[in-house]
Amino acid sequence: MVEAIDLHKDYKIGKVLFPALRGIDIKIANGEFTAIAGPSGSGKTTLLNIIGCLDVPTKGKILIDGTNVNELGSKDKANLRKNKIGFVFQTFNLIPVLTAYENIEIPLILLDVEQGKRKQKIVELLEEVGLGEYIDRRPNEMSGGQQQRVAIARALVKEPSMVLADEPTANLDSTTAKEILALMQELNGKHGTTFIFSTHDQLVMDYSRRTVSLRDGKIVDDKTKPRGH
Amino acid sequence: MKIVNIAWRNVFRHTRRTIITAAAISVGLSSMIFMNTMMNGADKMASRNIIDFETSHMEIFAEGYYREEGVFPLDTIVENVAFVVDEVTKIAGVKEITRRVKFQASISDGIDELPVLGMGVDIENDNRIFRIRESVVAGTYLQGEGDVLIGENLASDMALDVGSYITIITKDRNGTYNAYDLTVTGIINTGHPLFDRNMAIIPITQAQDLLALGPGVTEICVLASDENRLEPLKARISQAIGNDYEVLTWKEMNAAIFEISGFKRAGQFMIALVVVIIAAVGIVNTMLMAVMERIPEIGTLKAMGFSNTGIVKMFIYEGGIIGIFGSLLGCLFGLLVSMYLVHVGLDFSSVFENMDIVYPMKFIIKGEIDYLNLLFVFLFGVFVSVVVSLWPVRRATRLEAVDALRHV
Repeated sequence: MVEAIDLHKDYKIGKVLFPALRGIDIKIANGEFTAIAGPSGSGKTTLLNIIGCLDVPTKGKILIDGTNVNELGSKDKANLRKNKIGFVFQTFNLIPVLTAYENIEIPLILLDVEQGKRKQKIVELLEEVGLGEYIDRRPNEMSGGQQQRVAIARALVKEPSMVLADEPTANLDSTTAKEILALMQELNGKHGTTFIFSTHDQLVMDYSRRTVSLRDGKIVDDKTKPRGH
Repeated sequence: MKIVNIAWRNVFRHTRRTIITAAAISVGLSSMIFMNTMMNGADKMASRNIIDFETSHMEIFAEGYYREEGVFPLDTIVENVAFVVDEVTKIAGVKEITRRVKFQASISDGIDELPVLGMGVDIENDNRIFRIRESVVAGTYLQGEGDVLIGENLASDMALDVGSYITIITKDRNGTYNAYDLTVTGIINTGHPLFDRNMAIIPITQAQDLLALGPGVTEICVLASDENRLEPLKARISQAIGNDYEVLTWKEMNAAIFEISGFKRAGQFMIALVVVIIAAVGIVNTMLMAVMERIPEIGTLKAMGFSNTGIVKMFIYEGGIIGIFGSLLGCLFGLLVSMYLVHVGLDFSSVFENMDIVYPMKFIIKGEIDYLNLLFVFLFGVFVSVVVSLWPVRRATRLEAVDALRHV
């Protein structure tokens, strides 16, 4: 469960104070598949970064499973990210010198998972995202869609309680984007992992059950589709 | 362990960076090793030449002689030779003992006259300590009175050969000029410039005659059984023969040469330091580039749960791995070059042929490998690589994860 209470974030650009978030209150329950939508500059990436403990709010609180993240030191935040949060980025952000397998392996190495178990999990997950044959490929030997699948596998491999995806389909063509979204939806259903996206892509909103719309750093709309839609 | 894994992969996947950085380190280190090998070799050869031809391990003079050695003060010589020889022979740790007479003279072939250093040697005993007999390259060693050995360079300067006649001229201890006709019985090539250019060696009895010394000698040379324990032996000898005599070790007599060698080592160290600084700048540069181009990667790793310490560790391991790799390579290469120096040597003949050098050694310098130094150089290389990786990494960790991710 993620809860934001009166979240504010100001950026200083030169001498001008630019408010990116202006009082966000939101609750996202475990296992939700939520899109945070809005035009660029509306504050959605900032919100995701703060939820993911990559950035700190200027004011307000963020609670993850009841823990006030603001009160954690950088080491504890790193630990929280290591254990509970998976990230998927717009630009995929795979480590270029590592193969698909090795990229997915990093979170498990960080968690001290032993080698045999690591292998089993990675191979399983690569099959699940449809890249069983790409195990030894480096990022530059894969298409954008394939890279994003690896990135999703990397985010999911440690079985986090939530995956934060910042514009995950923005760099993909619409067919590939659909496939990726379908995959994430499937994984959400199967593993019960919370998925939170930021997007300005109508397609992503179509796939999500709940869509939170941001504009100028404020929530302007919060719609949940009825089940079975 | 886990971070080492990742660092290891990074190092060997960034092949070009690794090779360039490791090469910079290895060039720096191998030149350090090369210089050390050469300096060691030169020092060792100089020491060997001094011990094997000039002074042995220590010499006994009449008190006051050595201070005036430059003018060969024949009025302060060892008069009671039998006493000194008897006493010193009895002392434990003395291996061999011989007498020598050194004097200023000139030699003439009837046309040219050249100043030389004359030396009377004990034909029987001298070769038990010194290596002059082995250095005869033409003719034979001294057989008896009337024979003279001269150095190869002196022979060629005066166009002398085995069998040539020369006259040796000197002032005896009373100030009277005295001369002998001598036959060149042998020509020596010792590798010690003093001996090869300026020396005329005659039997000691003839030198004593020529200088009117009676049984007296200018010095008594002592070879020790253990060359690493000269100071206690010196003390025992001094005590046995009393205050009329002065005992000096070869190191004391050649302090000036080793002072020069100290300067050279300081110079060598400076050069090595510059080379290492250049290599270090290379490492900083490649590491800095590596860090800059990998900032988004660092952001990603932070997002995955890497702490700052983890990131720093990763880059330090990378620097360390490259450092170990480069240092190994440098030591290996340095060792190879050093082996060449040890077995073949560097020929400086053409450079030094006409120079008045005071450093007593051959013109072909052979190296001497110092394995402890090799180890030091290796550790130094790794240490420098790690330390200089720290600075670029600090920049990387100062960035917040969110800024690092945004950095493209």
